[in-house]
Amino acid sequence: MVALVIALALFFDFTNGFHDTANAMATPIATGAIKPKTAVTLAALLNLVGAFLSTEVAKTVSGGIIREGADGVQITPEIIFAGLMGAILWNMITWLKGLPSSSSHALFGGLIGAAIAGIGFGSVNLETLLQKVILPAVFAPLIAGLVAYVCTRLAYALTSRHDPETGSKLTQKRGGFRTGQIFTSSLVALAHGTNDAQKTMGIITLVLIAAGTQAPGTGPQFWVIAACAFAIAIGTYSGGWRIIRTMGSGLTEVKPAQGFAAETSTASAILASSHLGFALSTTQVASGSVIGSGMGRRGTTVRWSMVGRIALGWLFTLPAAGIVGALTALLVNTGVVGILIAAIAGTGAVLFMFFYSRKSAVGHHNAVEVEEAGQAVRFAKKKARAKARADARAKASAEAKAKADTKAQPKPRAETDAAAQSDADATTPKETQR
Amino acid sequence: MKWLELLTVAGATLIAAATVVTLYSLGVRLTAIAADAEQPSPGTKRSLAYLCFGLCGLAVLFGLYLIIPYFSK
Repeated sequence: MVALVIALALFFDFTNGFHDTANAMATPIATGAIKPKTAVTLAALLNLVGAFLSTEVAKTVSGGIIREGADGVQITPEIIFAGLMGAILWNMITWLKGLPSSSSHALFGGLIGAAIAGIGFGSVNLETLLQKVILPAVFAPLIAGLVAYVCTRLAYALTSRHDPETGSKLTQKRGGFRTGQIFTSSLVALAHGTNDAQKTMGIITLVLIAAGTQAPGTGPQFWVIAACAFAIAIGTYSGGWRIIRTMGSGLTEVKPAQGFAAETSTASAILASSHLGFALSTTQVASGSVIGSGMGRRGTTVRWSMVGRIALGWLFTLPAAGIVGALTALLVNTGVVGILIAAIAGTGAVLFMFFYSRKSAVGHHNAVEVEEAGQAVRFAKKKARAKARADARAKASAEAKAKADTKAQPKPRAETDAAAQSDADATTPKETQR
Repeated sequence: MKWLELLTVAGATLIAAATVVTLYSLGVRLTAIAADAEQPSPGTKRSLAYLCFGLCGLAVLFGLYLIIPYFSK
């Protein structure tokens, strides 16, 4: 059973890798900064290195969310098996449907659902869950977006060239940012390794603790780190080919300078929060950055209807994976036959989805997360520019205000979110009229 | 609660990203100026640009140095 769970966890790591190659490498491939083959190899290598760098997030996952050890409840490998099943299935479904979603939240959702169904509500440490998963999920994209906005402004301000006498625009010569993207996207890949590979390490450590082969409260063992690092690197490498084959025009509207700013903020946001042990979603941070950098460039507007769709996908991930995890946990609790049924059904579903994706048209591919975030940013017509600028300013101040509100007390967050949602809905008809 | 840590993350992200972007942008700008025609001292500008790129790289490495637990032990 332990071996089965470890294999399943490594497979989850693999899916995570190919789900997220796009986050780091879609922009430089689209702007032509790196050749596709070099890009995925680079991403895979840096994921490998990143996985070895820090284990803070692994400790968050393995210790805290589900109460383990003598004073808490006893979690079994079966529960973790069910949770992983939920995470993998949801990951595959969203990948197939092209819904942007976070692998990390799928993982947490599956585990929480399985724990609730298998043990009861008392098994989940709600406070830790709120502090280490939900709060970062809300704030990470906001922080990354805000920083990306500031950085894009900065980059454009510093490199805008005017003739000192006539005041007319000179050739801007921002080609240097394309080269810079090679480095920043490498940093994002590295950051992805430090954050996402950790989650699987945490799971395997959790299994080992649950099986009694490792003391509670200790960090991941070396062979676990190595196995996870290689699983995510292989996933990144193989996933890249699918993206490149189908990589369309979604990101061409993002200019190198914007991409540079967005990637820098993504990498620093992920690295900073990895360092403090927040398990946040690389996908969400990357999308937040792309949107933020879109607002930072003059004459660009953000498609809020698309942003709303992405946000909706994020909202659904946790409960949906939780439901699948809970169902699997109920099945597994019936005994060995139940485990067998769950394993066979899960493998069958994954295989079916894989072959189905082979048949279906281009577009059902894993590049969709970043691509949709790229589509959400669009170059506006001249008339709309003034409006876009005003919007961007209003949005930035609204964000700052919302943050200040939430700092005072956590409750009003939901209200501001709802307001933002209705705002997004309100702008949709205008979008279609144009 | 974790507000302080969240604030730390926000601050660190802003400082790190802004530093890198500023240095790199200055480098890009100086390269562009150095490539201009009728430029009195392209050599100086170019070396300044390379200095900016170098500082940018150093900033990134310093950030990684702060994060990797191996060095802080």
